[in-house]
Amino acid sequence: MIDMIEKEDPVISEEEAAQYDRQIRLWGLDAQKRLRGSRVLLAGLGGLGAEVAKNLILAGVKGLTLLDHEQVTEESCRAQFLVPVTAQGQNRAQASLERGQNLNPMVKVHADQDRVEDKPDDFFLQFDAVCLTGCSRDLMVRIDQLCSKHNIKVFCGDVYGYYGYMFCNLGKEHSYVEEKPKMVKPTGNSSDGPEAKKAKIDPNETTMVKKMASFCTLKEALEVDWTTEKAKAGMKRTPVDYFMLHVLLTFRTDKGRDPDPLAFPEDSRLLRKIREDVLETLAVSADLLNDDFISYCFSEMSPVCAVVGGVLGQEVVKALSQRDAPHRNFFFFDGRKGNGVVDYFGPN
Amino acid sequence: MVQLVGSLRKELSDTLSTCKVLVVGAGGIGCELLKNLVLTGFKNIDVIDLDTIDVSNLNRQFLFQKKHVGKSKAQVAKESALQFCPTVNITAYHDSIMNPEYNVEFFRKFMLVMNALDNRAARNHVNRMCLAADIPLIESGSAGYLGQVTVIKKGLTECYECQPKPTQKTFPGCTIRNTPSEPIHCIVWAKYLFNQLFGEEDADQEVSPDTADPEAAWNPEDTATHATASDKDGDIKRVSTKEWARSTGYDPAKLFNKLFKDDIMYLLTMDKLWKTRKAPTPLDWQQLENSARPQEVSAGLGLKDQQVLGVWGLCQLFQLSVETLRSQLQEKGEGAELVWDKDDPPALDFVTAAANLRMHIFSMNMKSPFDVKSMAGNIIPAIATTNAVIAGLIVLEGLKVLSGELESCRTIFLNKCPNLRKKLLIPCVLDPPRASCYVCASQPEVTVKLNVHKTTVLSLQDRILKERFGMVAPDVQIEDGKGTILISSEEGETETNNSKILADFGIRNGSRLQVDDFLQDYALLVNVLHTEELERDVEFEVVGEAPDKAPPPQSTQEEVKNITNGNKDSAQPSTSFKAPEDAEDDDIMIVDSGEEEEEEEGASSSTAVTTSASKRKHSDAETGETSTKRPRTDQSSAAAATNDDDNDDDDIIALD
Repeated sequence: MIDMIEKEDPVISEEEAAQYDRQIRLWGLDAQKRLRGSRVLLAGLGGLGAEVAKNLILAGVKGLTLLDHEQVTEESCRAQFLVPVTAQGQNRAQASLERGQNLNPMVKVHADQDRVEDKPDDFFLQFDAVCLTGCSRDLMVRIDQLCSKHNIKVFCGDVYGYYGYMFCNLGKEHSYVEEKPKMVKPTGNSSDGPEAKKAKIDPNETTMVKKMASFCTLKEALEVDWTTEKAKAGMKRTPVDYFMLHVLLTFRTDKGRDPDPLAFPEDSRLLRKIREDVLETLAVSADLLNDDFISYCFSEMSPVCAVVGGVLGQEVVKALSQRDAPHRNFFFFDGRKGNGVVDYFGPN
Repeated sequence: MVQLVGSLRKELSDTLSTCKVLVVGAGGIGCELLKNLVLTGFKNIDVIDLDTIDVSNLNRQFLFQKKHVGKSKAQVAKESALQFCPTVNITAYHDSIMNPEYNVEFFRKFMLVMNALDNRAARNHVNRMCLAADIPLIESGSAGYLGQVTVIKKGLTECYECQPKPTQKTFPGCTIRNTPSEPIHCIVWAKYLFNQLFGEEDADQEVSPDTADPEAAWNPEDTATHATASDKDGDIKRVSTKEWARSTGYDPAKLFNKLFKDDIMYLLTMDKLWKTRKAPTPLDWQQLENSARPQEVSAGLGLKDQQVLGVWGLCQLFQLSVETLRSQLQEKGEGAELVWDKDDPPALDFVTAAANLRMHIFSMNMKSPFDVKSMAGNIIPAIATTNAVIAGLIVLEGLKVLSGELESCRTIFLNKCPNLRKKLLIPCVLDPPRASCYVCASQPEVTVKLNVHKTTVLSLQDRILKERFGMVAPDVQIEDGKGTILISSEEGETETNNSKILADFGIRNGSRLQVDDFLQDYALLVNVLHTEELERDVEFEVVGEAPDKAPPPQSTQEEVKNITNGNKDSAQPSTSFKAPEDAEDDDIMIVDSGEEEEEEEGASSSTAVTTSASKRKHSDAETGETSTKRPRTDQSSAAAATNDDDNDDDDIIALD
């Protein structure tokens, strides 16, 4: 478990110290060691998956398993940067392996060609964190439930055109530390001149404060009851991206794929229909989410993958290193507006 | 009917296939940016970077691998990008963007320029080139977990230099030389010492006790009791430090006793200084050697470099580094000078030892080599994810620019924690150009306060026009009815003027200088305000801005911008040539800007975004809670406080 720093190798080598210097100076040696002892599963090597893979490999986790049953198509060559252009027809995880490994030889990168849904429950237990991209809603809910039972951190994320989201479930009791500056009381005596009279933040001393955060399951997060008075009252401050996510997850379940630019007219129509249905089912106003988003949610946009993958990657790092407050529990990015919000959905 | 090519409208996709864009910098943000541009469908990209790859880059500059260390960043970035997209046209330049070869005509080839820089001088320069060529520029910056992106378009938005940026702050000489109270003072002192002993001697980098310290109010006639005092008398040098050191053969013990015993004893005689401060305690080499005990080796859970050394260990480190540096000097030959480099072990060891010994003398908690390297080397911690986010935002803004949707462009801030409105990424409406901007106004003009009897022509050129006003090759004409040429950018033409003072040319209060930088297509009128009353250590002041020592009162995200300023010429504490700020000024205030509200409610966005401090609530960067106090981020002080060294191409990209 990640509560214990990897006992086998507590000493950071000189090579690691040199390579990780700039990040050790940010999050500290302890955090780096915890990363070093962590194993992560990443499902889905599309645009977002590749970004997350890059970020975690560079961060220096112990091992990263790339799980993807899909084959490399011409489009996937354009969508992500780990797959060589010559790899068409190959398995996507396998094709991403070499470039992925080269990002950081100190991380053990594996490729697994199976379907996520075919993996037995105990497959997931070997990991400290599981990150799911491109998965159906039901699959994500099932794996989230399984993993959180075993204290495995769960992350989900997807990119749809200009939009993207990240969800995390770090368990009911996720403990972490925050580094706070120490306050120095004015002493007057053993002081260093006129400034000593003021209470100062001592820039040279910091202290680690222990904290705890609690997370709900994905199922709970997606099944919020919007008919309650409280939910209705909070609607004004609720990001509509949440409802957009419902629409896109429904599309994915219904069609077994995401909106396809080559099928733009039909898919747009379907999205419009699903939007109506979803808003009605959730018993929220039909005006909440208009048609605007529809033509902007096709395909995985590279810069959006970079933004979402960056935030998601950093959340995984934070959770594994148990340092700094996690975003709780959704992050939504709107690439057209440049808006990125964090909000909590679930029971209180 | 909407036609899509991938995620994009067809017209936009077509534009991307044909347009040419320039990426300035191939470091942390640059690598991520190049990747995003290629995958988004940009087909013609020029990338320029003067630096080579270092092992410390590899935690985030993912286009580089260990085998590439030492090679050109621009070149390797290009090669790596071609691996995942062989059909894109990338031209790589291993060069400085400030090279006159990259003139306005060069810039005009591009539809869009994107900065991925780590220093203000280059940013200023590219800002001017883009104004001159009228090409949209996307600026960005990052440091640690924070970052920002903005768009600059001539006539429409503020340029990079519209808002005065706090310039490099200095510590008063007497703090460095007489009364250090923070480890950073000692580190600055140690770097000055390095230069005095081994490098280029600088009159502003004196290390000996400052007898002219106004606080000491010491009567120079009492010299009799200070027989073992240093050779220097106030600011008048009799024997240079280097000469003296040479005369002792760079004997470590002799150097040690002068710096850490004799000079300290001299300081002690300036008793007024120690009335309210804890007095320093001198060290003696022999005594320390006699009482030396083997250094305790703690269980190595931390990095070796993160252990603070004991005093005798520091003495030994001092000795060893002095001897090594002495050999380096000898090898280089007559008149040789070393340049301080954080990646040169003996140079860093020397500063670690000297700074820590001084900290010990002044009763401060000492610093590990790891921390000294951060502070002395102005290292800004950096990670891949922050840069990935910023680079993603750059491309998204770029797409808006290329779609002709400039009004939807925004400045976007990346925070560490969500603000009160739950925003982690905060878009803000762009400000229109500042009418009085001394760069982008139609007739730029500025007033400078200086002493015409003390300021030399060279100083005007280097300190004021180049450093302060960001010119690369200024031409200066005096508006005296005769068109007297004071400075010519042509080498050698006005060299004889350099050591003369401005008054020698009839320049006095009210004089006007016409300054031109041909490369930047930039003309600036400088009004001279003569004064005899400048603060100590201050050579000039730009009128209309707060004095250099304190940054102008700031609010909103400007504080964030300041920490991502990058390198030696920013507001951030730096030890490269001027002293860093006091710790308190490191406050990074993430304030609710309120702009989003204007946006969402459809309020008129033609008025400039207000940046007044007033009664805004300040959100704590970490918890998102409101507090009326000025909170600080929890980034380690080393992280928040430092900029990158000249040698390291880290990606701190300052937006403001």
